[in-house]
Amino acid sequence: MEEVYDVIVVGAGFGGPVAAKKCADAGLKTLLLERSARVGEKIISGLTIPFYGFLFGPSFIRDGNPPIERPVDGIINYIVKDIDRGDIEVDDSLRIPRPLSPVLCFGYNAYCIPFCRWLADRAVESGAELRTSVTVSELYREGERVAGVVTEDGQVIRARVVIDAEGSQGLLAVKAGVRKKYPPDVISLADVYDYRMEKEKVDRILGFSNRFVWAWDEQGLAPPLGFGNGLMVWPYRESVHFMQDQCLKTERGSRSPNLATLFREYHRNITSKLPWWRDEVAPHAELRAHLWDTFEIYVGLDGDLRREPMVADGLLIVGDAAGLESTELCDGVPSAWFSAELAAETAIDAVFGGDASAAFLERYRRKVESHPLISWSISGTNRYNLRYAQQKHDIRLLRRFVHNGWGLGAFTHASTPLALAALRAIQENPMVITSWLRMFPRYFRNWSRNSFDPPLAGDRSSGGEGQRNRGSQAVQGREPSENSSIHCSGNQHGTFSPAGSTSPRGIGLLEKAASLGLRALDIAIFFLGPALSGTARLLEPLAHLANPAATAFLPILETAMKAAKNARRLL
Amino acid sequence: MSGIPEGVEWKGNTGDFIKVDAAACDGCGDCLRVCLGGCFTLREGKAAVASLEKCMECAACWYACERGAIIFSWPKGGTGFATEYG
Repeated sequence: MEEVYDVIVVGAGFGGPVAAKKCADAGLKTLLLERSARVGEKIISGLTIPFYGFLFGPSFIRDGNPPIERPVDGIINYIVKDIDRGDIEVDDSLRIPRPLSPVLCFGYNAYCIPFCRWLADRAVESGAELRTSVTVSELYREGERVAGVVTEDGQVIRARVVIDAEGSQGLLAVKAGVRKKYPPDVISLADVYDYRMEKEKVDRILGFSNRFVWAWDEQGLAPPLGFGNGLMVWPYRESVHFMQDQCLKTERGSRSPNLATLFREYHRNITSKLPWWRDEVAPHAELRAHLWDTFEIYVGLDGDLRREPMVADGLLIVGDAAGLESTELCDGVPSAWFSAELAAETAIDAVFGGDASAAFLERYRRKVESHPLISWSISGTNRYNLRYAQQKHDIRLLRRFVHNGWGLGAFTHASTPLALAALRAIQENPMVITSWLRMFPRYFRNWSRNSFDPPLAGDRSSGGEGQRNRGSQAVQGREPSENSSIHCSGNQHGTFSPAGSTSPRGIGLLEKAASLGLRALDIAIFFLGPALSGTARLLEPLAHLANPAATAFLPILETAMKAAKNARRLL
Repeated sequence: MSGIPEGVEWKGNTGDFIKVDAAACDGCGDCLRVCLGGCFTLREGKAAVASLEKCMECAACWYACERGAIIFSWPKGGTGFATEYG
């Protein structure tokens, strides 16, 4: 007998499992389809998931123990003016200082296989069915309405609502005529290298900061800024990820550059000329994977593309497939999480209300457009504007765009959306405050012990087999223990002391004190909840002043920081 | 960069998931220039798929071809490239 699902989610990347879990939690019969044999094995990324994705995204991620590779306390930007003369400026203003770092951080670096599998496991735990090794070839339509999917072997699987979480190419929606194929000038090709490196070397040499390199075209170091791109290096637990990227074309109708030749030349120059890579990283780094993938770098900046549909009759499109990849930080994960939750909410209402028409589902689009962090992340122009600095060869412009994109200047445009997201979350549930406070130390403790939630039992590598949680497979509790942990990426080398001089005993006492304090805060918030919600509602209009306030205050702060740095140097 | 390191695996039996519509192709070579897997060649002034053995399914060829001559779909489920380190 033909199976009919309430919801089919296409794609078990970062967004799909979040949508599938929420639908399954609401009692919907949910199918999650993934074309790869193992969840996450086809996703390529230099991946820092920013903190706001965790704080304001799905609560099961924030309150859980997903496998992370390394906390990231900020960015060191290298602006290369003349590599042969060693003329390199550094902007490392966006870094959390010790001892707050790396417990408090701007995000977490992660590999896609363990992280996406962790997400898919949570969907399966909630009752969603996961089928791997299944390629969806097209959407199944009854008249105009999307009524399911057609798999590669011609099988029709019917559903009341389909959630398309296919990733940035978004083939299904393009083939169905729902969305346009993106033009090549808004798409970038990422050339990615993964290097194995001992953990103690990563700790000592790269620490907890991502490193970005920006250079004039003629330096041959980062791909031409005229195309709006640079070079990025991410430290992982015991490896280093390295990405250069380049738009496929500068303008529609122009010819593409020879990217294989260009990337080869720039990679050679970087590894042989950039002092910190050549002298410190290269002697300890062993290349183990060369990968590449496209991503939608400037879709959000194109008005026409931004207006492309996110819904059709019976269809909701989320994450990169909906054009929600960040135009500045170039990450798509937070928006994939936010939009997946919004799509799932809409799908649940559609199924229970018996109305999955485009007119009903359009509320999803309105929610996406009014989400402060999604709309902010797909409208950042600092990276795009680097091309103007390049064209004019204007170092002041280059410094300004780098500082405002990946330096402390980011707060001049990020403060309002962050404040709005925080105030709205508090209005919805004030208890979220202690969840936020608990998340950072728990994530750090998990990382320092290399101990995360274990994968669900059962072989996921066999294609085409449905998997549902049968209760006994469920992970009992969320706290990792010695016997039920996974290690993120092989052997751990050495141990890491988070606060330098702080002893393990000291940390233990600190943890106990913090735990007691947070419990007290829980109780206080429980009783003050309505007052806190009301206050957050009253403060919401003031959030719009956060960006102007940051713009006014940051120069003063930065001057003070520089003075303090100089004073320390003199002393 | 010559030679693929251990961290990438290709599983065969993918099917012909990328094709070139010769009638639409003007032989500009954009697909060749953006493909890091060396999957394309020019034959008689038209692009043609040489091999999909090193295709990482990025779709750069599909995006770069503004004439719509690249017909792109996904390989069969469970086949194509895979990596532990993405």
